[in-house]
Amino acid sequence: MAMTRVGIVGLGTMGRQHMDAYRQMPDVEVVAVYDHHPERAQAFAQEYGVRVAQSLDELLQQTEIVDICTPTYRHAEYALPAVEAGNSVVCGKPLGRTLEDCERIVEAVKEHRTPFMPAHVLRFFPEYRTAHQLVKSGALGAVAAVRMRRGGDFPRTKSDWYADFNKSGGVILDLIIHDFDWLLWTLGAVERVYAKALTFRNLPYLDYTLVTLKFKNGAVAHIEGTWCDPGGFKVNFEICGDSGMLEYDSTRQVALQIAARAEGGAGGGVQVPESPAVQNPYYLELRHFVDCVQRRLDPEITVEDGYNAVRLALAVIESAQTGRVITL
Amino acid sequence: MSIKVGIMSFAHLHADSYAHCLKSHPNAELVGIADHDPARAQAKAQQFETKAFDSYESLLASEAQAVIVCSENVHHARLVQMAAAAGKHILCEKPLMTRLEDGRAMLAAAQGAGVYLFTAFPCRFSPAFQQMKRMLDADAIGELLALRGTNRGSNPGGWFNDPELAGGGAMIDHTVHVADLIRLLTGLEIEEVYAETGNNMFHGAFDDTAMLTMTLQNGVFATLDSSWSRPKTFPTWGDVTLAAVGTRGIIEMDMFAQYLVHYDDRAGRIKQVFWGDNIDYLMVDEFVRVVAGAERQTLATGEDGYKAAAVALAGYESVRRGEPLRL
Repeated sequence: MAMTRVGIVGLGTMGRQHMDAYRQMPDVEVVAVYDHHPERAQAFAQEYGVRVAQSLDELLQQTEIVDICTPTYRHAEYALPAVEAGNSVVCGKPLGRTLEDCERIVEAVKEHRTPFMPAHVLRFFPEYRTAHQLVKSGALGAVAAVRMRRGGDFPRTKSDWYADFNKSGGVILDLIIHDFDWLLWTLGAVERVYAKALTFRNLPYLDYTLVTLKFKNGAVAHIEGTWCDPGGFKVNFEICGDSGMLEYDSTRQVALQIAARAEGGAGGGVQVPESPAVQNPYYLELRHFVDCVQRRLDPEITVEDGYNAVRLALAVIESAQTGRVITL
Repeated sequence: MSIKVGIMSFAHLHADSYAHCLKSHPNAELVGIADHDPARAQAKAQQFETKAFDSYESLLASEAQAVIVCSENVHHARLVQMAAAAGKHILCEKPLMTRLEDGRAMLAAAQGAGVYLFTAFPCRFSPAFQQMKRMLDADAIGELLALRGTNRGSNPGGWFNDPELAGGGAMIDHTVHVADLIRLLTGLEIEEVYAETGNNMFHGAFDDTAMLTMTLQNGVFATLDSSWSRPKTFPTWGDVTLAAVGTRGIIEMDMFAQYLVHYDDRAGRIKQVFWGDNIDYLMVDEFVRVVAGAERQTLATGEDGYKAAAVALAGYESVRRGEPLRL
């Protein structure tokens, strides 16, 4: 069996998640990893038994697929040389921190015709995928009103890049871009946006937004994004059409839950809900991309999809910042 | 001594609930019903074992001390002004008015006649809401930053789908409750409104989908979904929810989430059976007590009704202009 050679760039939480997925694929080998923090790369390489590339160039030469798992603001910095070198690229969402970054990536992909997929992993979450399929099948009739909610407490990492709006784009660009992509995928183009947010209030480790989207097909969507909820990460959605409604709430549909007392009986444990599946959405997403590369098929998420999601998120940010309605 | 109350019009389905409340109240007496539809007046009078008057004038000439107005929205102004001129205290169904000038005329009529004008906002009486307000007032989640509300329902049909009689569609029907709760919760006025509406649910000449964004005096922002988006198979009529986001946490209220789930094979559907307090009764009870001379505590005034309806009307103006509107 010819092994597909993968390199991972960016070895934080998402890099680990992806590494775990590739390790389950018998026809894939992670042959090199890279991180601009050499100590982190070494620790990662030791843990997983993979080689550290000394530079991005070295990684590009050794691999077919490059998987970019860095923070958002570094996506273009790594995606552009990878595309130009002819590697196939899967790039974390959002595609870029700025529309200019995204435009450069789109142009490069067009020019070099390399397989490219923005990692909008939500499309591979079975609850969201099933909802998309039901809407597309016409099960709900004409969609009129959609509500989506995503979030939990503020994400804190060692480098604290989420707290830097210029790096992450806050809760609108980093978090609810998942829902924006799902909505664009499912309902089509957006006509205009209006939003309020805490993003520009200078409240440390608090970000929150309430967004209204009007779609060209007449549907209205409301999206709540929160990094203000100490109650833990949760999502929900509700899609109302003229023939029915779908709802999902991660706090209500829980397949497995554990609540255990700490050893020795002191203190209560945290309840951790789970949705176990044979394969997790990260595996399904990366397996899809590997299949596309191996069989020379087009990935179902295009670089333009990644661009459009960022464009929408940036319009939402502009509305929240200026108080104006932004027509797309 | 019982307080004598009449009901002017049963066009709004809430009249039935208020009639039940009056019938079961130890200090109230439903003295009669008038309706521009005489057959409905007869039928309701029979159902509630009271007198059918042949005109609003004759009801207002009766011994009634107070009236509850439950006509089509657009007729509130006329009936409230008639009742005020007759010296009756008034509880008016929401939305108080469909035009700002009507609202001002209603407030002036009540003030000029020296009668009470209250707005039927029973959600104020919800124990869950009042507990939420106590939590916020006690600084349980720090400084308030944002609010997210819903008052989703099913399409009531009939005159509610005729903007000439209702003054609009879903947005005027369902915005006022939560707009009022937001004012009561925060003690702040709503300064700016933006709204998006749609009609993909029923494809009629009225809005069935409505999302409002409101900005309060101190920059707190809020959204409200007042769509008629509950499908026919939904297990209940709709909901009232309000979530508060503060610097130290969040509070989520789902006002009517006090129910049993009834899988009803006989009806062929799943139903929610509510077991919480009857907020209509709590509201009617205070109305009766205030008419009898007690101090107002929770009842929404005419002014409260005016301000909440003004939010919905601003929403429609925002839709026409395609931009946020300052109140």
